[in-house]
Amino acid sequence: MSSIMLALPSKGRLQEQAMELFAASGLTIDRPGGARSYLGEMAAMPDVAVRFLSASEIARELIRGTIDLGITGEDLIHETAEQGPEQVDIVKRLGFGRADVIVAIPDAWVDVTDMDDLSDVAADFRARHGRWLRVATKYVNLTRRHFARHGIAEYRIVESLGATEAAPASGAADLIVDITSTGSTLKANGLRILGDGVMLESEAVLMVARNADWPGPRRAVLDRLLSRLG
Amino acid sequence: MSAEARREALKALVSADDIAFVAPPILIPPAPYFDLAGEEFGARMILTSAADGADFCLRPDFTLPIAMRHLEIGAGTPAAYGYLGPIFRHRADGPAEFDQAGIELLAHEDAGSALDRIVAFARATLDLYGAGATSVRVGSIEIFEALLAACDMPDVWRPRIRARFGHPEAMGRLLDRLADPHAPMPGPEGMPQRAIAEWVGELMATAGLSPTESRSPEEIAARYLEKQALKAAHVPAPTIDLLRGCLSISGEADTALTALDARARQAGIDLSAVLGVTRARLDQLRTTGGFDRLVFDAGFSPRLDYYTGVTFEISGPRGVLVSGGQYDRLLRRLGAREDIPAVGCAVWVDRLEGGAAQ
Repeated sequence: MSSIMLALPSKGRLQEQAMELFAASGLTIDRPGGARSYLGEMAAMPDVAVRFLSASEIARELIRGTIDLGITGEDLIHETAEQGPEQVDIVKRLGFGRADVIVAIPDAWVDVTDMDDLSDVAADFRARHGRWLRVATKYVNLTRRHFARHGIAEYRIVESLGATEAAPASGAADLIVDITSTGSTLKANGLRILGDGVMLESEAVLMVARNADWPGPRRAVLDRLLSRLG
Repeated sequence: MSAEARREALKALVSADDIAFVAPPILIPPAPYFDLAGEEFGARMILTSAADGADFCLRPDFTLPIAMRHLEIGAGTPAAYGYLGPIFRHRADGPAEFDQAGIELLAHEDAGSALDRIVAFARATLDLYGAGATSVRVGSIEIFEALLAACDMPDVWRPRIRARFGHPEAMGRLLDRLADPHAPMPGPEGMPQRAIAEWVGELMATAGLSPTESRSPEEIAARYLEKQALKAAHVPAPTIDLLRGCLSISGEADTALTALDARARQAGIDLSAVLGVTRARLDQLRTTGGFDRLVFDAGFSPRLDYYTGVTFEISGPRGVLVSGGQYDRLLRRLGAREDIPAVGCAVWVDRLEGGAAQ
């Protein structure tokens, strides 16, 4: 029997909402090994194997094509590989797990309101301070693309894997690119989002891996699953 | 001639006469590249790290390791370097590992004869691989810098416009914005700069920002006022037209330079000195290199601020085969006390070999 592999987030709100999505289409997912097990079953479609993985692992394995379809945050697909978005097909945007990837500057930069201002600041920065403008972020690919689109080349990325919003105060960077859902953490840290500083309006998406093998019988299972989801 | 024989002959070209053939390490620290070229070039490097956390990249070019090594023997000592070997870059149109060969002439006072050697090397290499029809695109950094210096505009804009030379899209966006400046800053008007700086300083203190590590309150206040004044003291429309007009000039080299000269004269700007130098460089490409189809493209430049003078790109059907130019500011950027004449070119061995194999 041909089967396909579906990966869902292994914890938190994202997992609950992903499970609810399938349950709402009559595709309840059980975890025979208990809530801590990383394997799941779909009684209504036994030819769909379910795996619970971390959200970033789902992005990586979808891009590689070692899982067939999965749910994870769109931002992770962009960030895992520069060509990540080209390796997957988004078949459904899910409306939950919403968060924006944004450019934020210190609120004290009263002369900077949008990306154009930032491009002027970046062009002048090295002559004034003897170093490049520094951007703290874990979103390296998205930052490079967004800055290139705005013609900004005079900066350096400082990779930051946590508490990015503290980077300007700690002196690690001048501004940040980070993910935010409400903006309250930014505010608390004296940061402000640029007027055109939203790089990506991310949400949870259901994606199919282009790099997986799709012989006819497996494609048929996929089509059946997608049509039941509507 | 076999591929091996061609490679041997190429190696002979880059180690002939007084040329020191060098083979810098492949695994090198990436920081100098990020410092010189920023994040855009950085994105194309192959990076890795050691067990102790030290960063490394796979050599993305030869010019920078050669220039750094040259500083050790004394920036002002005339020297010639040659190389042939793999470099590593992410690229859309081929494997990330590919061979490059080239020569770099550093601290040669006679820029004309140094360029002659580079052009002769480019010609010899193309002949070696039997590269037939080629087109040559030439640009001049010094023409643009002379034009920019002579244009009527507030000084703050000159470095910002210079920073976008070589990137037509970014330049276009900036010129569009200067032609139609956005509304002045909302916020208190008529505040003296000192009061704005105090206000900014308080905001910084509240947020726990250091007033000295990044942009200072004074710097922010000055730009705030500059932005408020933009409507009144913006770049004059004729200047924007002039820059747009000049940058769009591209075509048969002599015709293009004549057009550039005429356009600048219309605006009362005399570029004859730099145009004369560029004409002489074009003649060298024709006479020494035997390149007859020269295109001058006023907007063509690497987007790296250490290039100076003339820059050129020789293309065949498979893309760029040779790229080169003058980069007198590189050694200074790496620590030399002054600009040091530098000229060189790199040849794309994989494309030449691909053409010769057919």
